[in-house]
Amino acid sequence: MAYSDKVVDHFNNPRNMGSFGKDEEGVGTGMVGAPECGDVMKLQIKVQNDRIVDAKFKTFGCGSAIASSSLATEWLKGKTIEEAEQIKNTDIVQELNLPPVKIHCSVLAEDAIKAALADYQKKAGSKTGTGSAQ
Amino acid sequence: MNQPTPSGGSRNVQMARSMCWHCQSEVAGEYFCERCVKVQPVSKETDYFTCLGLPRRLTIDPAVLEAKYYERSRAFHPDFYLNKTEAEQAISLDNAATLNTAYRTLRDPVQRAEYLLDLEAGSVKTIRTSPPADLFEEILELQDTLDAYRAGDHSSETGRRLRARLEAERGALERRQAEMEDELQKLFVEWDALQDRGEADGHARMERDRLLRRMREILSNRTYVKNIVNDLVETIG
Repeated sequence: MAYSDKVVDHFNNPRNMGSFGKDEEGVGTGMVGAPECGDVMKLQIKVQNDRIVDAKFKTFGCGSAIASSSLATEWLKGKTIEEAEQIKNTDIVQELNLPPVKIHCSVLAEDAIKAALADYQKKAGSKTGTGSAQ
Repeated sequence: MNQPTPSGGSRNVQMARSMCWHCQSEVAGEYFCERCVKVQPVSKETDYFTCLGLPRRLTIDPAVLEAKYYERSRAFHPDFYLNKTEAEQAISLDNAATLNTAYRTLRDPVQRAEYLLDLEAGSVKTIRTSPPADLFEEILELQDTLDAYRAGDHSSETGRRLRARLEAERGALERRQAEMEDELQKLFVEWDALQDRGEADGHARMERDRLLRRMREILSNRTYVKNIVNDLVETIG
């Protein structure tokens, strides 16, 4: 199966690879895996004033999984939490031209975004409200 | 797990299991009509255990499984249908294919467990287990070490140190794999015992869910560990 040029590009030059400290101020961490293929994805966002100022990822998996998470971090930067919530796996499929057998990689990336956002909100909530945390 | 897809030829003869496609009489036997002796299609709803004449249990004696498989393979072997009608040839071929898939699936303990989970709990996704964050961290960290080792000079001091670390990690992960296999075997026995007791009260349902969930967890973790071990073996031999 041939990867699209965009997948190859992200694979060869992954954007924002790396990680933040889990307990760093404003950092949300999403850690997800696909038991079907064994891919593991860690995606982190750094939020300041309700805006994602930076994002990083680490992915152990196929080229499409790496490309999906790399693209996701690119898209996340500069977005508000609400905007970030709107990112859909289908957008990733379209942008990277993923074939049907690789759609689950984009699903994994969406799951990772959601998990990172949820983690950030949980942390932010538990810090501000002493009991009103969602 | 792919369900066998019957070829076009047999789809129109695939009907209620209880009725012979040829003479419309009641089929009481397993694969052949007792009245007209025509071969009957294995229904798409038939699970692989039933297909091979086995109870839905996870502990399977390989010798028994093989014997059942050969016995049924002989019954459906396309060579015996060369002089039969096209419909019968198509049915025997489909049945043989289903049988092969059933045998291959049940022969392997992991595939067998995956298949049972599919049967018992719908698709894999319906059993939600929380992702093993610690294992993921470990895998990602190990991948960094692997990358560093691959990029560096293997004969340097750093290269040798990295290699020693990777070797130790591989040993630890392989031991973990063995532990998971052991636990899976134990769960198989527990699952079978629960089935044999045949209880349907609340406690039995809870136990059923616990076993399915734990099996799902181990099978998933097993895949993650297997992938990183493969990578390790590929890199350091």
